[in-house]
Amino acid sequence: MDRLIKDFLRGLWDENPVFRLLIGLCPTLAVTTSAVNGVAMGLATSFVLVCSSTIVSLLKKIIPGKVRIPSFIIIIATFVTIVDLSMNALLPDLHRVLGLFIPLIVVNCLVLGRSEAYASKMPVSWSIIDALGMGIGFTWALMLLGAIRELFGTGHVFGYLVLGDWFTPWQIMTLPPGAFITLGLLVGLINMITIYVHKLVRQQHKATN
Amino acid sequence: MRESVRMIVVLTLIAMISAGVLSSVYNFTNEIIQTNLASELESSIFTVLPQAVSVRTIHPGVSTLVEDDRSTLQETEGTVSIPVFEALDQAGMPIGYAFVSEHTGYNGTIKVLVGVETATETITAVKVLEHLETPGLGSRIESASFLHQFVGKSATDPLTLNRDIDNISGATVSAQAVVDAVRNGFPLAIKRYKEER
Repeated sequence: MDRLIKDFLRGLWDENPVFRLLIGLCPTLAVTTSAVNGVAMGLATSFVLVCSSTIVSLLKKIIPGKVRIPSFIIIIATFVTIVDLSMNALLPDLHRVLGLFIPLIVVNCLVLGRSEAYASKMPVSWSIIDALGMGIGFTWALMLLGAIRELFGTGHVFGYLVLGDWFTPWQIMTLPPGAFITLGLLVGLINMITIYVHKLVRQQHKATN
Repeated sequence: MRESVRMIVVLTLIAMISAGVLSSVYNFTNEIIQTNLASELESSIFTVLPQAVSVRTIHPGVSTLVEDDRSTLQETEGTVSIPVFEALDQAGMPIGYAFVSEHTGYNGTIKVLVGVETATETITAVKVLEHLETPGLGSRIESASFLHQFVGKSATDPLTLNRDIDNISGATVSAQAVVDAVRNGFPLAIKRYKEER
């Protein structure tokens, strides 16, 4: 049970796909112009991740090793298309913004990576927990990135006015360079925090010894 | 040998199941998607022709707003066909029509809806339906100050950037595309409207 929780939490921080593993960056950089877009992309990717990990884990004994990659891609593409079609039908406004990037979830190396490295070797329940952790980690990373870019790029967060009329929006934040700058600073910040926490833990360890 | 047979069987089975699932999802969602698109287009027509009470399709065009169909302005059987809709007032009398036109912009296709008053044959409003232009630069083609310049123009006006339509600084390609879409579509729509009525 302890290991299950540890595996779940791993995706949130220690192996956060965006900030620590730096994978799946194409959608990360492209759609995070606002917090809502970030959350929506994160949730769509999480859904695909959990569903495909489950199926891959269930079929791991049936799928021959030599055709595992095409099999995984078909499974992933199926779920991505389901997300694409249902989002177009049920959330057309959101689909107009994210529509271009939804099909690209198929080639998000986060999804294929978890299928290949984890789900194809582990039991179903473990795979679901791992996918959930990674998905939530991806979602909060995209939400944070989107919120920061939206705040400085438009003065709003989640569509609500945060900075008043005195604030002149920094247009660069909603453009691609803003994505790179924000991501770079956040990765640095997260690394600093991680190093600091590790140091504290070590010191405490020494003290108790 | 046995292994390769197994590979083929498993891959085929996965692909077949996937196709089956997707076709049922498509059947389920397609209807909603088409209704959404139609109602979205209809509400757009009411914004470019505010006096209109009801809308009638004169010509659906080679493509109505189907997402990956980019062929609206292509020739079919010698004539170009674009979607044209007639707007009617309370008494059911035609007051104007609206047409959809498109042109390649900086980042993809820009789709515009143009409202035309029948009595004067002048533009009542232009609305950008779809675009993928740069946020903050090209996206200013959606601004009221740019689109308002088209109001009152007729098909005989030059409809040329920097002559009777002011450019958007930093977004010439996007602005040019909107102007081209309106200018190219306008005579086609007039022709189509007169033919089909």
